[in-house]
Amino acid sequence: MVANITELTTIIAEDRFLDDPPLLKSFAQDASLVAPLRPRYVTRPETVEQVQALVQWAMRTKTPLVPVSSKGPHRYGDTVPSVAEAVIVDLTGMNAIKRIDRRNRIAVIEPGVTYAELIPALAGEGLKISHPLQPRANKSVVASLLERQPTLIPRLNYSLPEPLRNCGVVWGTGEVAFTGEAGNGPLSLDEQWTRGQSQLAAWGPNATDLMRLVTGAQGTMGIVVWASVKLDLLPVVRKVFTIAAADIAQVTDCVYKLTKVGLGDEVFVLNRARLSQMVEAQAGRRAALAAALPEWTLVVGLSGAALLPQQRLAVQEKELRALAQEFSLTVGEGYPGVSRTDLTAMLDGFCRPDERAHQDIFFLSTLDKVAGHVASVQSVALRYGYPVADMEIYVQPQHQGVSHHVEFRLPYDAADARQAAMMEVVYHTASDKLIEEGAYFSRPYGYWSELVYGRDRNSAEILRTVKGILDPENILNPGKLCF
Amino acid sequence: MEISRDAYRAIEDIVGPEFVTDDPALLDSYAFQYLAELIRPEHSHFMPRPWAVVMPRTTKEVQAVTRLANKYKIKIKPISTGWYHWAAPLKDNEPTLQLDLRRMNRILDFDEKNRFAVVEPYVICAQLQAEVMKHGLNINITGAGSSCSIVASACAYFGAGPSSFSMGNNSDNLLGQEWVTPAGEIVRTGSVSSGAGWFCSEGPGPSVRGITRGYLGSRGGLGTYTKCAIKLADWPGPASLEVKGRPPGYRLPVPENFRVYTIGAPDWDSFAECYYGIYDNTLGYIFHRQFNLAGADLATALWLTYIDPTKTLNDVETAAADPEIKAINEKARISFQLILAAHSSDGIELQDKILDEILTATGCYKVERYCDKDMAEFTNMYLQRMGHKHCNFIWAGGYMGSWMQAGKPDWVKTYVPTAIETFKNDQDSGLLVQCGGDALMGCGSTLAGGGYYGFEQFVSYDPADIKSVKACVKHMEDAVVTCREKGIPYGKEYLYLQVAWPDEAVWNALARAPQTFVFDFQRKIKEAFDPNGLGDRNYPWLPEGWGKSAASAQKE
Repeated sequence: MVANITELTTIIAEDRFLDDPPLLKSFAQDASLVAPLRPRYVTRPETVEQVQALVQWAMRTKTPLVPVSSKGPHRYGDTVPSVAEAVIVDLTGMNAIKRIDRRNRIAVIEPGVTYAELIPALAGEGLKISHPLQPRANKSVVASLLERQPTLIPRLNYSLPEPLRNCGVVWGTGEVAFTGEAGNGPLSLDEQWTRGQSQLAAWGPNATDLMRLVTGAQGTMGIVVWASVKLDLLPVVRKVFTIAAADIAQVTDCVYKLTKVGLGDEVFVLNRARLSQMVEAQAGRRAALAAALPEWTLVVGLSGAALLPQQRLAVQEKELRALAQEFSLTVGEGYPGVSRTDLTAMLDGFCRPDERAHQDIFFLSTLDKVAGHVASVQSVALRYGYPVADMEIYVQPQHQGVSHHVEFRLPYDAADARQAAMMEVVYHTASDKLIEEGAYFSRPYGYWSELVYGRDRNSAEILRTVKGILDPENILNPGKLCF
Repeated sequence: MEISRDAYRAIEDIVGPEFVTDDPALLDSYAFQYLAELIRPEHSHFMPRPWAVVMPRTTKEVQAVTRLANKYKIKIKPISTGWYHWAAPLKDNEPTLQLDLRRMNRILDFDEKNRFAVVEPYVICAQLQAEVMKHGLNINITGAGSSCSIVASACAYFGAGPSSFSMGNNSDNLLGQEWVTPAGEIVRTGSVSSGAGWFCSEGPGPSVRGITRGYLGSRGGLGTYTKCAIKLADWPGPASLEVKGRPPGYRLPVPENFRVYTIGAPDWDSFAECYYGIYDNTLGYIFHRQFNLAGADLATALWLTYIDPTKTLNDVETAAADPEIKAINEKARISFQLILAAHSSDGIELQDKILDEILTATGCYKVERYCDKDMAEFTNMYLQRMGHKHCNFIWAGGYMGSWMQAGKPDWVKTYVPTAIETFKNDQDSGLLVQCGGDALMGCGSTLAGGGYYGFEQFVSYDPADIKSVKACVKHMEDAVVTCREKGIPYGKEYLYLQVAWPDEAVWNALARAPQTFVFDFQRKIKEAFDPNGLGDRNYPWLPEGWGKSAASAQKE
């Protein structure tokens, strides 16, 4: 192993090849229930050529590589090595925003670019990206989209990977190839730009959609070294509205109609615990705020950009109020203790550092099933003594409202062994129950991978075939998913 | 050459004797394919004849026939509604079963709330649209028209149409598919594979759909798609299309919450500016350049004649010489159709105001005659239902759609003059319909949300006149040469021509592609899922190592 490393240091500078124990430890474990395992090295390539050389070296030496694009804390176990002697490929240093094309509303970024870096850069050009609800400031935009994290604006979610369009990938074969439209052109972004080519169309090249094979892959198929992302105009006027409900079923039809007609930018539903967590910075005040909030809140953001933005906003507001009235719902602009400013900050802000440990259970479903999923998880929580009032729930319409990301966040005291043990049982039992009732764990991290691929052997078999083609030595994050 | 009696008997046992045939007359009806004369020896109208035609009813029957084909080493070529010559077997003397999927024509599920339908391959767009409109929903009908299969556009070919600007192309709208691989395995993709229903085509983990649902799909070259789920879009119009008028110029009244316009531009730069204005302002339920398929010199004469019940096509020539019509034609020379829709009167009025501001800013305008009630209603009918596919063939019975390189508007406008000039030069032979060099038409966007489009150049020719056919082929070859010389990626004509090429020539061409990774990947996929080579080159591949050294020196 050491000799092999010596070979690699001819390609990547020695100071970007690290084995400090604290650093290794930081990659050995995350906040998930996935078993910890220390990597052997952490390497920090700076160029595509270095990433490619690293993969080719790993193929020769059968060394497992774990690509990581975000800084921590990591949450789902996908960046924790599943096999010993892995090398972490830390891409956080590849963080150039290579291009922002205002006219065609597309940006090309490296994997280390974070939401905290991209959002203001886009705003400077009058653009925005549809992003997840309060992402970590240091979350890699590329990693977030590759993992199909839900985004806030269902109207713009034309397909689930949106706004991800094209990727440059160092495949597990050691080759570099571009996905989508970019895969038809020269293997150089600069050359493509000189020729007037864009990286807009996600499909292809040819009869294959290579991008689809790196999404949801947890770094098992290839290492993405750049991606193009689709953008929208930055609003010049904006309002955020709340619609309260005692039961999620009360807002279900309203959400269906909003997403059907494409009204609104941000559209999502929170329970009172999640809303209070997001808008109240002071942890000590959250319980009281939550108690004063309605059980459920449908949040709808409206905005105006381009021509006649004020009139655009006014028409949308009128349509929203009429639509809500159809379902006997009232449109508000917050609650006592939740101001308009709080709501806007919630949509635009980054998540606060975790004050409490928590486990997240999330999956896709259809909206008509969500009330049932909520009841199921609550029943599991009650059975094992987990405080149901602490459970934070978030429902995000995706793909223009055809599918819905449903997320249960379960805070607990990880230092308390009894609570930690209970959490593990609740997490596993609830996951089992949910999958039985038709919840679709489309991003099967950790424990879920066995559940999912155990039931779906068809997908597992095909994915193993594809993995065998794209990563014939199984060096890319082995042990994840069904690999 | 004919299919072995053993294989034939076994197929009869699977689907029933009335649903398999090797009657030469019937086989030839499958070999007779649009565009065949452009690439076949002696310009024959016939592609290679299949050895037998099989009409399965169920996925299980497709699977059983496919397994049998593996046993007897017979190729499989599925066809649903079909389009283009490549729907037929590609090579002579290759034993091929043509799977005609017309008996698989059921809408299996319609989920109104969750906005999807599950359909079999012979469900056509018009059939599903009529059903879902009753519930305030609509579907993206592809440019191929409402008589075409939804499964084909969503799973196996290109799924864009006039409404893709707002509704997405059918690749975006695909929510899951059922695929019988050439090896005879039944594969389902996305949430349905996990037993969670047909609402999501991604995952679990990486998306299996990625191995075939690319730019063009596998076009029958890698197994058979037997079902798919498709996302439905909003329909703010009436529950059914109350069609008025007399044939062939049927009209669809424009509801109060709709607007139907034809927008003209003084030049291609203004066209692009107007496009970006519409794109930034997210206007447009339907955005398409439709009427120009008749050619910019003749379009107005044709369409005003077409909608006039007192006239016939014989009157077009007279109309084209009419100074008033000529004047309208000049206003409409660079134009496109835009249909706006909203859920409220405020909403549609606002869209009108925004559009007017865009037009003022860009120097574009509404072409008044095309916006008159009769033409607007005809436009509404044409583009909402896409039922006028016969008009593609209106001039001389044949057309070949060339060019169509898609990209951002600023790039597309740069190749438009070249496409026009090349076509115009070839029209001078007098052997192609002389409708002007600009017969460029196409969707406002092939991608959901806009920002990406390409124009298909409609080359109208007489397929019964061998000189005209040869002139069309010459134009195809000229277009390829022009693209090569000017550094423009090849258009559709290049794909059409390749159908006639021997394998080695296709592989040489693939090996010269700027990136060949995908063709190596597709070879490995083919080896894994089609071990007996039942599929054809519509799912293209490069043999291992093919052209590596030569190609690296000649990358384009």
